[in-house]
Amino acid sequence: MNRIFWTIVAKELLAFIRSWQLVLVVLYSFTVNVYISGSGIEIKPRNVAVGYVDYTGGGISQKILSKLHAPEFLPPRRFVSQEALSRAIYDKEIIVGIVFGPDFEKNWRRGEKSSLNVLLDATAASQAYTTLSYLQNIVLELSRSGMSVDIASHKLFNPNADNHTFMALTELLSVTTMLCVILTAVVFVREKEQGTWDIMLLMPVDPKLIILAKSFSQVLIILSGVVISLGFIVLGVFSTPLNGSFWAFALLTFFYIWASAGIGLFIAAIARDVMQVAQLSILVMMPLIFLSGAWTPIYAMHPALQALSLFSPLRYYIEGTESIFYRGTEWIDLWPYFLGVILVGGLMYWIGFRKIGRLF
Amino acid sequence: MKARVIRAYIAKELIELVRSRFILMVYLLPTMIMLLFGYGIRMEVTDARALIIDNDRSFLSNRLISKFEHSRYFDVSLDTSDEADALRSIKQARTDVIIIIPESFEKRLLHGQSTQIGIYVDAAFPSRGSTIENYAKGVILDAAASLAPARSAHLITINQRSLFNQAMRDEDAIVPGLIGLVLLVAPAILSALLIVKEKERGTIFNFYASPLSKGEFLIAKLIPAFLLHSLNIFILFLWAVYVFDVPFRGSFLLYWGVSEIYLLISIAIGMLISVVTRTQIVAVVLTVIITIIPGFLYSGIIMPISSMSGISQVEAHIFPVMYYNHILYDAFLIGEGLQSGKTLSYLLILIVYAVILLGLGRLLLKKELG
Amino acid sequence: MEYLSVENVTVSYGIHVAIRDATFRADGGEIIGFIGADGSGKSSLMHAIAGVGNFSGSVRFNGIGYRSAKEAEPLKPLCAFMPQGIGLVLYEMLSVEEHLDFFADIRAIKPDSDFLAYRQRLLRMAGLDKFTARRAGDLTGGMMQKLSLICTLLHRPRLLILDEPTTGVDPLSRIELWEILDQIRREEGTIILVSTAYMQEAARMDRLLLFDAGEIIASGTATELLETVRPMCYLPTPGSGGVRTFDATYSLQPLDIPHAEPTLEALFFVNALKNNRLLPPVTLSGEEKIPFSDDVVMEARGLTKRFGDFVANDRIDLNLRRGEILGLLGANGAGKTTFIKMLLGLHPIDGGELFLLGKPVRNAHDRRTLKASIGYVSQHFALYGDMTVRENLLYFAAIRRIPSQEALEKTARYALELGFSEYLDEMPSQLPLGINQRFSLAAALLHDPHVLFLDEPTSGVDAIARAQFWQLLIALKEKWKIAILITTHYMSEAEYCDRIVLLRDGAKVADDTLERFYAAHPDAETFEDIFLEYYR
Repeated sequence: MNRIFWTIVAKELLAFIRSWQLVLVVLYSFTVNVYISGSGIEIKPRNVAVGYVDYTGGGISQKILSKLHAPEFLPPRRFVSQEALSRAIYDKEIIVGIVFGPDFEKNWRRGEKSSLNVLLDATAASQAYTTLSYLQNIVLELSRSGMSVDIASHKLFNPNADNHTFMALTELLSVTTMLCVILTAVVFVREKEQGTWDIMLLMPVDPKLIILAKSFSQVLIILSGVVISLGFIVLGVFSTPLNGSFWAFALLTFFYIWASAGIGLFIAAIARDVMQVAQLSILVMMPLIFLSGAWTPIYAMHPALQALSLFSPLRYYIEGTESIFYRGTEWIDLWPYFLGVILVGGLMYWIGFRKIGRLF
Repeated sequence: MKARVIRAYIAKELIELVRSRFILMVYLLPTMIMLLFGYGIRMEVTDARALIIDNDRSFLSNRLISKFEHSRYFDVSLDTSDEADALRSIKQARTDVIIIIPESFEKRLLHGQSTQIGIYVDAAFPSRGSTIENYAKGVILDAAASLAPARSAHLITINQRSLFNQAMRDEDAIVPGLIGLVLLVAPAILSALLIVKEKERGTIFNFYASPLSKGEFLIAKLIPAFLLHSLNIFILFLWAVYVFDVPFRGSFLLYWGVSEIYLLISIAIGMLISVVTRTQIVAVVLTVIITIIPGFLYSGIIMPISSMSGISQVEAHIFPVMYYNHILYDAFLIGEGLQSGKTLSYLLILIVYAVILLGLGRLLLKKELG
Repeated sequence: MEYLSVENVTVSYGIHVAIRDATFRADGGEIIGFIGADGSGKSSLMHAIAGVGNFSGSVRFNGIGYRSAKEAEPLKPLCAFMPQGIGLVLYEMLSVEEHLDFFADIRAIKPDSDFLAYRQRLLRMAGLDKFTARRAGDLTGGMMQKLSLICTLLHRPRLLILDEPTTGVDPLSRIELWEILDQIRREEGTIILVSTAYMQEAARMDRLLLFDAGEIIASGTATELLETVRPMCYLPTPGSGGVRTFDATYSLQPLDIPHAEPTLEALFFVNALKNNRLLPPVTLSGEEKIPFSDDVVMEARGLTKRFGDFVANDRIDLNLRRGEILGLLGANGAGKTTFIKMLLGLHPIDGGELFLLGKPVRNAHDRRTLKASIGYVSQHFALYGDMTVRENLLYFAAIRRIPSQEALEKTARYALELGFSEYLDEMPSQLPLGINQRFSLAAALLHDPHVLFLDEPTSGVDAIARAQFWQLLIALKEKWKIAILITTHYMSEAEYCDRIVLLRDGAKVADDTLERFYAAHPDAETFEDIFLEYYR
């Protein structure tokens, strides 16, 4: 019993290692790919290109501009006319254009209401949003020079709001899902394609054992991928804070991978060839990832989608991972994530298991 | 050119696509990505769960709280419990931001002494954290300004004019970018499987032994994918304009033309993968990995290219998504078209990409056993 | 006059040389047979000539000379190539008719009445005229093979290269095929290169090239080649020394027994003797297996299988006794594979009853207990392509709960006896069909089953390995009283069966012992003649 289980696991691992292209692609997905997604992007405004036209003598205008400093803003570029500024915005060289009208300084000195014209390239809506609130804060602070409300703002868990670590981590979770579903499905479908399925059926082994062993082999592969990615990229290159317990994350990942493998089994039961596996897994994974809250917070979703998201094991996994890594949540407070992953994931694995079991 | 041979291959591919039901994927996938992401991605944060600890319980602190309560960005709950409990609730992800109003907030304010309001944001999701932080600061500063009207002599107001997207709608900012993502991923997946499938099964021998030249074989293989996905250019346009109400200000002809060129590029990427890989599974995973991530990162959906630094800036210029999306956003939101020199040069760059990638595929394809 | 001239062609994969300095010439209208042991370089030479694989040396066909696959392009319109492997060049999703259209199109054949008549003839020859709407993925192995073949013939090439085209094809279709090939070369002067494992086929070719270990070691007409081995062929006589098979004894030293009429198989044996490469005699080691006590091992009563409206097996009654080799013969598509798959439980039974080892088989659970007693080799004999031969065998042994030590011993022994020792550490996908076939057999025998179901286990296997294989089967039957159900298209192998069942269009048409078949057909010289009686 045990020996057969390990034999099957060993066979699948061997088959995986023999396919060097696949090994490379999996390694790439877990390392370079995670690195690219982490290094490539910064969601908070950074290096925002600001251009301005100053029709005043400069003074208060320069004071305002001096507050637009790195790393959020590139040094503001001066334009001679509003037309030149507009052209630069049209060409996407400038995202925020500020126009200081001739009366701006005069009015301000007199203590009258003065107004500032701001042109925003709103095709970059998120940048536009945040830049605008930056500007507003700068201007407000300037206006209330005598006022004395200080704001002591603390970003908990990730003080620099470092997006690299977050994006890298999110990508790691998505890659884990995708590879686990596809690899598990392919382990079975390849047997169908190559005609070894019949041979497998004729082995005097309990089909349950075959299914378990085959999925376990892929769980092992993905788990090693996660460890490599975590060690070299997430914790290595990006030095992501790990405020919680590593073992909590490992355990949660382990349960979650089984859930993904269950989806893989389900797909394997339906698909006849690798092409169909590709098709089905992408169709299944897109909503799954979407409903996980990775892209948009769950409480901001349509109520129907919120209800649906309860069935995405990825939801619990991502929330749990965020909590473990950043919030440093204690074991005891992690129970909702574990419960979610185990319940929903267990259900998924059971369904996939039953579905493919019927083919034996 | 052997028109009949190419026709035969096209017919064969179409039959296979229909019978293997892959055709569903061709039309379901783009629409699904579009709808899910179009409805799903929200840069704006609404209903952030704010926990306000009011240690002052004065008139002014109540005014401040009601400012938060009236903001659509916050969903406020009041808590009188201690800070440790509040911290725990943020650790359990039940709260996004804690705002602490200090004791004698009102008194100090009225006496012109400085007072400090604490904001504790959950930055586990950093972009969301920063956004919430900015909103909260905005609300407080705004409140402070209005609470002390006498002092606000030097008031500067901002006349903000958002170009191209007056309403600052997320849809307008995201949906055109999604077209660039979808038209990169879906056609690449389809074409990535076309050749490697024949290699894996052995039917590639039919090509090896036939008088078909490499170029003709590639054309025959790519035309079905190209034609099928061409329809998606229109379908995606309809979704954008009629479902998401994104304005379309440019030339449809330009949109169509540049999309077809872009389609050639993404199909060529898939084809290159198909030529170098040996098994379908490798081809699929590789295609998904190398198209979705750059397609998303460098599309300009999340972040304008001009804001990227160093390597990212270079990478963005390597992936063709950036060029296409520039023209795309122009066609939807700006409408300058070819009058802008930049659009024209980007169009030319895309054409060069298509030619290079297709040429590379032709070069790497082998017509004999490896 | 057309000609093909091959000079010093060498094909190597890394350090392994598949064929070295092959040189020969063929003239228009000639059929050249490639014969030789599995892995002796036949396929590699064919790849080189067809311009689908790289090589060094030069090939010239009429005015077209080429020294690499790239230069061979001008040849392609004139040439047709069918690679080795079952259904390799077919598209699963396309129907038979769509295949013909597709190949006609890529070869730009004018669809005139001549072509349509020719096409119809090919279809009839292949027995596929009733199945034009069926998808290639649903065809049986033999039918796939015939479809690949007629797709190749469609454009009447000037140079036709066929790598084991008749593997898995029934005798009736083979006769038809040869008529067509004969006609094409007579009418159009086509040069045809064919490799085959059927020596009766080889005997009909104009000239033969004998391959051995990557070299062409002899060439000539069948008669010429036979003369070279005549002195080494003797009648089968026990205890006389030399190497004995069922129908002959071979010895390089003169023996004191009567000579026999040589057959082409003799070429293989004599050559192996000369190079001292003969396989060791089969031995059954290990303790006596306790056989299943009942006499009837398998009993089928009115077994029926339907696919939609199509009745694949129509109420077949069959029993298989202990220590019996039962040959299940029939044309491609007669229902042999379906029947075996039903016995194995790979297809659900649509009607009738089945008893295996005395127990009724109704559901999956009944089968599971029986799996340990059954050995099976499928037509596609696919084992895992990403593990070496040795790893495959050890894997199956472990799954079958055979202790490691025993598994290692058995693997080594079967490798030696069936002649695949030197391939143990190679990937199955890199090996010729015949070698794959051999170790699939070994995999089916590892667990000493009570009953063996073998679906064309010897297709495409060379003469020596086949003889060895049959010795093994007969030893298993006699010593361990194992029951064996086997399908084959080698009619000469039918002679080794105890009893033969003939299937036709899904129904049983005959079931008798070999002796009684011969008694009923006194004119028949070989079993092939009897077989054809039933299908004409």
